[in-house]
Amino acid sequence: MMIKIDKGCFSYKNSSRQILQDVSFSASSGDVLAILGPNGAGKTTLLRCTMGLLKWTSGKSLLDETDFRSISAKELWKDLSYVPQAKQVSSAYTVREMVLLGRSSEIGLFSLPSKEDLLKTDAVMEKLDLLKISSAKCSEISGGELQMVLIARALVSDPKILILDEPESNLDFKNQLLVLDTITELASEGVCCIFNTHYPSHALRRANKTLMLSPGGRHIFGNTREVITEENIRDIFGVHAVIGDIESEEKIFQDVVAVGLKKKASDPAPNKLPQSAVATVSVILSGTSMASEVNRIFHEYSKYIIGRMGMPYKEADVHIINLILHAPVTEIRTLTDKLNLLPGISVKTTYGKEMYQDR
Amino acid sequence: MKKNTLVQPGRFRLWELLLLILFPVICSFIALAAGRFSVPPADIIHSVLNKFSFDFQVSQQTELVLWTMRFPRILMALVVGAGLSVAGCIFQSLFSNPLATPDTLGVASGSSFGAALALLFGANLILVQASALAFGLCAMALTWLSGSGKNSSKVSIVLAGIVIGSLFSALVSFVKFAADTESQLPSITYWLMGSLSSAGYNTLAMGCPLIIIGIAVLFLLRWRLNSLPLSDDEAASLGINVKALRIICILCASSITAASVSMCGPVGWIGLLIPHICRMKFGSNHVSLLPASIFTGAGFMVLVDTAARSISAAELPVSILTAMLGAPFFIILMRKSGGWTI
Repeated sequence: MMIKIDKGCFSYKNSSRQILQDVSFSASSGDVLAILGPNGAGKTTLLRCTMGLLKWTSGKSLLDETDFRSISAKELWKDLSYVPQAKQVSSAYTVREMVLLGRSSEIGLFSLPSKEDLLKTDAVMEKLDLLKISSAKCSEISGGELQMVLIARALVSDPKILILDEPESNLDFKNQLLVLDTITELASEGVCCIFNTHYPSHALRRANKTLMLSPGGRHIFGNTREVITEENIRDIFGVHAVIGDIESEEKIFQDVVAVGLKKKASDPAPNKLPQSAVATVSVILSGTSMASEVNRIFHEYSKYIIGRMGMPYKEADVHIINLILHAPVTEIRTLTDKLNLLPGISVKTTYGKEMYQDR
Repeated sequence: MKKNTLVQPGRFRLWELLLLILFPVICSFIALAAGRFSVPPADIIHSVLNKFSFDFQVSQQTELVLWTMRFPRILMALVVGAGLSVAGCIFQSLFSNPLATPDTLGVASGSSFGAALALLFGANLILVQASALAFGLCAMALTWLSGSGKNSSKVSIVLAGIVIGSLFSALVSFVKFAADTESQLPSITYWLMGSLSSAGYNTLAMGCPLIIIGIAVLFLLRWRLNSLPLSDDEAASLGINVKALRIICILCASSITAASVSMCGPVGWIGLLIPHICRMKFGSNHVSLLPASIFTGAGFMVLVDTAARSISAAELPVSILTAMLGAPFFIILMRKSGGWTI
């Protein structure tokens, strides 16, 4: 299943300000698409237009090449689910009643929920670990719990596309991670997840596709690595940022740190982003189960590889690989990301000090 | 997975259901017995059984008091009490506002104006009722027309309701001002205090069908009503036609209100009090909240009306009693349960 936006434009009536201008993007099953932008860029408006809750001034939303407007609401919302911002909700329903509401499109106007609806509700609540608070009132649970309840409500209709409006803002570290992990897990089960965020690092770590939106109506869409660059963040967020690595014992995480405000529109970048580099990617594999997958990924990058060595170390049942390549920096980062996603693998990349213009 | 997790949320326990059904029945029994002319319980049972072709000895006078005077009045109290409670409950959920009452859309003010106008022209009781009903529905239409333009929201409809309500209140004042102070003004004022004394089978025949249909439709929709307090986007994203649902609810709840006011004048408090009591006890799930409101409202109204006609030789207006009995009861409950939410 694929969702696609074709040249969407939006402005409020009686207002000359164009909020969204010719926005196009697409996402399909298993994708995580982050819509990234500063406050006031129109992220929520974009989501509402995408779902048809607001009407595009021009342009359209397509579901598998069919215009949303020619799909009945009931059919559309069987495939599509929406998770609103948790702060908007204030009602005294119990958690189970709230989650059950997600089955509305399956339940007839004059009917009560069937046994099947109740079973599905409990299954989803069990999956998201909500059974322990199932009879608590939604107005009395924490923000993090409420967000999970709203995600559960969206999931009980078995959506193929899940749209979340700033699911992790207003949450603490642990709950942010919980929500983001849930999104990653759903994507691995084949759900297409689209979420709004104003944290570049969340987009960087979780999304394979990113749409960056600026308050002026400008937008950039593409693979996350190509979209989230120091240059684009400077242009769109108006801050000088550094994208750097944070290391744990076995992995390197990419993070974005804002280091200062951009003073003038013409303020140049402090240093031009290098385009090509020599780098060595060091990999330690536990066992050999992932070896063929690693080789397949290496093969995709064969044209950049200038050297490679690998050796098994039987005593510890590990396999050690060192790959040296000369490639555009974004390609090297994408490769590192791909390896990072595999289980039982440790990856680190070291870049040479000399940078070169594109080969 | 444990079996009890599959119980429908909001299903009553057996004793709760029995209690809810018995409450209006017991209240009605008390209402048949109590009053200036008190009837012994045995006579009531005998007289009821006579209706099912038994043959007990009951005096002519008792029969007359029970079935011509008290029974229609009890029926009206049951229907009006249930109706106003349901209407209040719906408006509170619809506007996500705990202060909403059946009069929020100005319907009761419209009906009051209709009745006052008919009384000014010296019309008979049936005409007064018809005029009240017509103007109540007219007020609802005006509210809907002024509040539901482009970019309308729940708030704009509430605002329109307040505006239309105060417009009709002003018109009522105008009618009172124009009325003859010796004869018309007292009857208008008395009508506006609310009373069930006009109850007869004719009055019931005109008012009840609307109320019963309204309650029935809302009862059938009871699970779907749970989506009323959600925001527009949320409700739409659940695949619900929000606008249609709201129109149905407003139509039903307003017709119920207009029909109630046309039968017995504006009776305050029931529509605010009963739904809140039920929310505190049964939660916000309409699957249980709606039936609970129906039974509790019906029983409570019968009790209050019985008190209104039995306390003193001259009958007390029922609104005075609903507030005097309801307010302390409500405060005790609120303090005990720590308030409520929609």
